[in-house]
Amino acid sequence: MMKSRGKNVGKFFHTILKWLIGIICISPMYVAIIYSLKSKQELAVNRFALPEVLYWENFSQGIVQSNFFNALKNSFITTSLATIILTVICSMASYIIARKNNSKFYNSVYFIFVAAMIIPFQSILTPLYINLLRWGLVNSLIGFVLAKSGFQVAFTVLIITGFVKSIPRELEEAANIDGAGLYRTYWQIIFPLMKPVIFTSVVLNALNIWNDFQISVTILQKQSVRTLPLTQYFFFGENNSELGLAFAVFVLSMIPVLTLYLSLQKYIISGITSGAVKG
Amino acid sequence: MKKKSIVEFSFLFPALALFILFVLYPFIEGIPISFTNWDGLSDNVKYVGFRNYVRMFSDRHFVNATSNTLIFMVIEVVFSNLLGLFFALLIAKPSRSNNIIRTMIFTPFCLSLLLSAYVWKYIYSDFFYGVLGIPSPLGDKKWVMAGLANIAVWRDAGYCMVVYIAAIQGISKEYYEVGDIEGCNIIQRFRYITLPMIGPAITANVTLLLSWGMKVFDYPMAATSGGPGRSSETVAMLIYGNLFTYFKAGYGQAIAIVFTISIFLLSFIVSYNLRKREVEL
Repeated sequence: MMKSRGKNVGKFFHTILKWLIGIICISPMYVAIIYSLKSKQELAVNRFALPEVLYWENFSQGIVQSNFFNALKNSFITTSLATIILTVICSMASYIIARKNNSKFYNSVYFIFVAAMIIPFQSILTPLYINLLRWGLVNSLIGFVLAKSGFQVAFTVLIITGFVKSIPRELEEAANIDGAGLYRTYWQIIFPLMKPVIFTSVVLNALNIWNDFQISVTILQKQSVRTLPLTQYFFFGENNSELGLAFAVFVLSMIPVLTLYLSLQKYIISGITSGAVKG
Repeated sequence: MKKKSIVEFSFLFPALALFILFVLYPFIEGIPISFTNWDGLSDNVKYVGFRNYVRMFSDRHFVNATSNTLIFMVIEVVFSNLLGLFFALLIAKPSRSNNIIRTMIFTPFCLSLLLSAYVWKYIYSDFFYGVLGIPSPLGDKKWVMAGLANIAVWRDAGYCMVVYIAAIQGISKEYYEVGDIEGCNIIQRFRYITLPMIGPAITANVTLLLSWGMKVFDYPMAATSGGPGRSSETVAMLIYGNLFTYFKAGYGQAIAIVFTISIFLLSFIVSYNLRKREVEL
């Protein structure tokens, strides 16, 4: 009797504690959202209470002043292009690396990829910037897409290769006997089987590219090519006193990421727990 | 036969080419730059031997940036992992409510580092100071790195948690049954069953967060711009500044090389030691 009551009390505290932690973890987003909905006057007198009037002008003005749709377009173009490039070329590379695991050459390439994941962007920053200048790729969305993709190759190959190793070879051997070439075998048989890991790599890369600041702040300096994080960075610097406006822009740029996360959560979690994620 | 190997190589080629062009080639190009006095702009380049490498160790800005980065990294690694493990133990059992809580705790990880930094800047100044009366750590030279690291912990503890949950769920029930027969209490269960079994997850999380912590750039750029003074300038920021602000590209590149080697060595030593302990535990 006593014991079961003690157990119930323990369970009660356990439940309270875990919900409390969950709420604390997302509470900073509450700040962003209510700041975005308050006028400057209201922010001056009350910061954390719910807004008395919903001040939507922050959003309409923020969109205009920060050139939001241009940044959204740039972010969308760069993220989707780089994600597509990475998915196509890295899945092919991973396939051949996984299948040629007795070849010295392919094994060394794989080893170099693994080692390269530790390389900090700063160690290639200066030479890369100079090269991009020379190639006319500074202030160009394509320049950013190529540099960012290059930087993500190692990580993407690593998660996909692990998965390909678990696909049995028998299927391809059957196709080989039928006389299908490597490309046809790959696109018709192997690629469809890779769907779960492809989803994972797409989501993780998309999040990473969408949120990138370090590489984009180096390459995309002109206002017309700024992505969302860059726009936030510069807009915030200029609107330190217009908090509502700045946070409205933040909230808007959070929406795509959160939508992606909530709808494809399963793939993010499985990608991380496959133990290969070493961004 | 030969045709076959060309076809095979064509699968690897695009990825390899992109990697070489935008990562490996610039990395190698950086080595000679680090031995020059180049300013990053002019054609006037002179080789100065190891002078850049010698100079940084008596450069107080480099020493300052290194110690800031290390403080940040240690707090980030220790607290993200401790909290992540604690959260994982609380909600490892699969259930509807635990799934919702997991989603909540992991959400910050999806936001950009920049956004995290800005939101926290105002939580510190408006909530901690405005409501609780605790001064913002970001305005205090002594506390600024801890304040920044706290943002990273908020964002990355959820990541660690997800990895630990998977590791805990992978432990066979039989171990716990044996533990119950032996009369283990909850602490003994954790110490002698859970902890040894999640060793590989600890190694993975610590090594990964170590490299994230060392590379810290976005948080101080957004929340403090390296201030107050230069008390939150990190190594990554110093290298960036040497190219774009101080016009000492050669010197910055030498720092970048030392920085890369240090991260390699540190990751290697830490993961080697953790792996060795995995067996002993």
